[in-house]
Amino acid sequence: MMTKRTFKSPFFALCAGLGLALAGGIGWAQQSQVSAASPAAPPAVEPAPAGGPPVMRRLTESQYRATIADVFAPDVPIAGRFERAQRADGLIAVGSSVGGMSAFGFEQYDASARGIAAEVTGEKRRAQFVPCQPKSANAFDAACATKFVDTYGLKLFRRPLARDERARFVGVAKAAQARLGGFYQGLEYALVGMLQSPHFLLRMERTEPDPQHRGALRLDAWSKATRLSYFLTNSTPDAELLRAAGAGELDTDQGLARQVDRLIASPKLEAAVRAFFWDMLQFDGFNDLFKDPVIYPAYNSSVARDAQEQTLRTIVSLLVTERGDYRDLFTTRKTWLTRPLGIVYRMPVATRNGWEQAEYPAYSNRSGILTDISMLALHSHPGRSSATLRGKSLREVFLCQHVPDPPANVNFTAVDQVSRPGSTARMRLAEHNDNPVCAGCHKLTDPIGLTLENFDGSGGFRAKENGAELDLKGMLDGATFAGAPGLGQTMHDNPNVPICLVDKLYRSAVGREVVDAEGPYLDYLATTFGASGYRVPELMRAIALSKTFYAVALPAVPAKTQTAAAARKGDRS
Amino acid sequence: MERNREGMRRVGQRLMGPGAIALMGLALASVPSQRAVRAAAPPPVPAAPTPEVLREVFHNGEAGFVVTEIAYALGPDAKGSGSCPAGMSRGIRDLIKAYKDSPDGQRRTDEAEQAYERRVGMAVHAGAGGQNLCMHPELAGPDPLWRMVSGADVRVDGIDLDGQDSAPGKRPAAGTCGHQDFQGTHGERGIDNQFYRVVGCVPGFQSTGQANGWQTEMYTGSWGILISLKGVDDLRNDPDVQVGIYANADPIQLSAARAALPYATYAIDQDPRFRAVAHGRIVDGVLTIDPVDIRLHNIVNSMKDERVLRDARLRLTFTADGGMEGFLAGYTPVDDMYNLQFGSRQSRTAKGDLAPERIRIQVSQGREDAFGHTCTGVYHALQQAADGLRDPATGRCTGISTQYRIRIAPAFVVDTPTKSVNAPLAAR
Repeated sequence: MMTKRTFKSPFFALCAGLGLALAGGIGWAQQSQVSAASPAAPPAVEPAPAGGPPVMRRLTESQYRATIADVFAPDVPIAGRFERAQRADGLIAVGSSVGGMSAFGFEQYDASARGIAAEVTGEKRRAQFVPCQPKSANAFDAACATKFVDTYGLKLFRRPLARDERARFVGVAKAAQARLGGFYQGLEYALVGMLQSPHFLLRMERTEPDPQHRGALRLDAWSKATRLSYFLTNSTPDAELLRAAGAGELDTDQGLARQVDRLIASPKLEAAVRAFFWDMLQFDGFNDLFKDPVIYPAYNSSVARDAQEQTLRTIVSLLVTERGDYRDLFTTRKTWLTRPLGIVYRMPVATRNGWEQAEYPAYSNRSGILTDISMLALHSHPGRSSATLRGKSLREVFLCQHVPDPPANVNFTAVDQVSRPGSTARMRLAEHNDNPVCAGCHKLTDPIGLTLENFDGSGGFRAKENGAELDLKGMLDGATFAGAPGLGQTMHDNPNVPICLVDKLYRSAVGREVVDAEGPYLDYLATTFGASGYRVPELMRAIALSKTFYAVALPAVPAKTQTAAAARKGDRS
Repeated sequence: MERNREGMRRVGQRLMGPGAIALMGLALASVPSQRAVRAAAPPPVPAAPTPEVLREVFHNGEAGFVVTEIAYALGPDAKGSGSCPAGMSRGIRDLIKAYKDSPDGQRRTDEAEQAYERRVGMAVHAGAGGQNLCMHPELAGPDPLWRMVSGADVRVDGIDLDGQDSAPGKRPAAGTCGHQDFQGTHGERGIDNQFYRVVGCVPGFQSTGQANGWQTEMYTGSWGILISLKGVDDLRNDPDVQVGIYANADPIQLSAARAALPYATYAIDQDPRFRAVAHGRIVDGVLTIDPVDIRLHNIVNSMKDERVLRDARLRLTFTADGGMEGFLAGYTPVDDMYNLQFGSRQSRTAKGDLAPERIRIQVSQGREDAFGHTCTGVYHALQQAADGLRDPATGRCTGISTQYRIRIAPAFVVDTPTKSVNAPLAAR
């Protein structure tokens, strides 16, 4: 059974139990004291692998692009657009295993496949990509076509093609040549077929009996390689990993460790870390983000683009390049800037076209990624900041807590009067919260978000709002603090912050919710993470080397039903 | 960064005393400036910036600015002000009409329309030898129908460049020629603005005309101006400030509404000819500088000219948004002013070559048509009104006093080589 992880914080229970909040009978400090109760000591070694169900995950946009770049070349164009990704329980990585595919989405895959295939087999670049030359310009060269299909079948399907699959794609090549008259046109359509295949677009995990545990299942070597590769590089398995999978090396501790260490040391680890945090920080929200240009004239598309990259660069610098402490993301003043960002931050950027490292001044009240434009602007309204959205996102993104959406009939009149002279967001929210229906959830969000009121809806600094001094006092899980630096330090010291990261990183890696039986394993990971000094690459290594990461436990479905369903659907892919 | 903060704190305390910076506006308004002593009423002082704003503008006593607005400081429109009692100057359209009304200007039988217009154009634009008069304005004599501002009570704001209230018959200051100074709108005397005197009766230089819209190219990023302050210890009174005035190597950054954005970073032009550094001072919150020669870019219709200002002065005061406003003034060599604003005799292409004469003529004649002057008329008027840069050998003045009204916004001015992302394309 899939389940949500429980955390040390009481807010899950309180937030879900809106009635408690409405009653107002329980103070947040009391709640926090409840959370101080320590759970049983977490295991120091990996518990016996429990495993969850194998999943079928659609490639995300970044994975699709990286895969095409790695299989062919980075400059091979991808013409199609990508459907809006589905986010499930905070992660697109999880949503990719539950979402459907619309007709529009498939049309776009088709457009991309045709463009890629035309580029790969076109006269200009075929010598680069086609591994053989046909013996005759007119007669179909089955051997060369087979070599082409085998080469790209392995890379695109992330496993060798079955005999009938190979025959089918070679047959497509032959039929297309017969229709279109050229060998390479034949290959083009064979490649289009492979690129449109669900075996490429979806990461289908296959299982096999686990020889070390009678009656248990495990991922087969190719599925292992795929899960491992997308986890550590956000791309398809490279030739060495496919070789190791084919040689059975991933089934041995030594062989697996060799590959994991190789990938961890690879520059591509950065791409994986980027992809995970882009997902975790919900940067897909920038696709829908709008800021009123009259109110925020410096916010434009360049700022929106660079703001995401700024935060991702900060993350990669600290976590990957410096192998730093994850918690320091909430306190570091080191950052990266471009000129468009410098206008909003009011900081000089000497580099004309590009990035340069910088440091938020101590007087800027900025510290950590929570004070980056990306976080501040993304969780604000088009024309004003939002303590509520900021607090909500912080709980959901970094603490893995869920804050309910507002009721449909809520009256926003008080909070919408943003220009009232002498008023601040704290004052307006206090008026709004006179309504007990609203007050419950705002108690979860506003004490955090109000500490960021030094920053307007675009992330720019402001000393006052409507001429009034800002009260930046706040509280989180019983800890009181003031301003963004105080919030950053409180987040840094909050034990649930690294636990949440472990939870999200693992769920992202396996593409599904955690099952109950994996609870002890996550506790083990959290312990390992702490012992490593909260080094994310070490956490990724621990996950990648663990037995649980590859373990499979099929959901409990009556055997007859399962068989009947399988028989009905068949496998026509 | 800590140093910056400490520097700013130090500046703030020395400037205004602890917590006193907010009173700066009141102090400025209540303490008469040196200039105001001579005036009936001091010019209004803009609202002072808050300490929070100043903290972002000044770092270690240094601040940078980008010019966001610049235009000739001109006096009142002729209509209703009495500045042009003899009427408006004769423009090229008047000449064309006069020629067409003359016997020679009648369209001949069987003369095609295009040929007729070409003949009219030659008649008004070409000299005796067929040379274009915008390219060779010296070939014609002064235009007797050119009108200069001559009203007795015309008020114009600006800077006193020669240090005296000049008047005809009065001994001119050293290096200048006799002329009539203007009086400011608040009673200040001695304001030198002979350029306004020349163009003030030209239709295109009225407030509704097109002649003062040359900052358009600044907003397209073709050129720009940067100003830097260094060594500022006291924003109210500081006798020793270094002021840099540079050409901007970067395009100005604008909002979606095409308003200049503050706090952008700009690089100084790497060509030393476009860098000027002057000693300055702040007195009662007003920044002024010692005379310095300035050279700036000017690009119109993709043709490059240089806007030169000799013995230039600044007079700027802070505004609430951390920017400054005031005047930039100096003497423009008369030939440069003519080339820059009227007849494109020296305009160059982006590669630095002299632009094709055909294009330079088209632009010059286009300006005649749009602004309502004649090339020859304005050329000789400029020579006649020249009041500065006196040539010791000839005794003639070669420069004309020119006043610009400017606004500048906080910016980060860096001195770093720049390279366009399009440089590889430009090199092709």
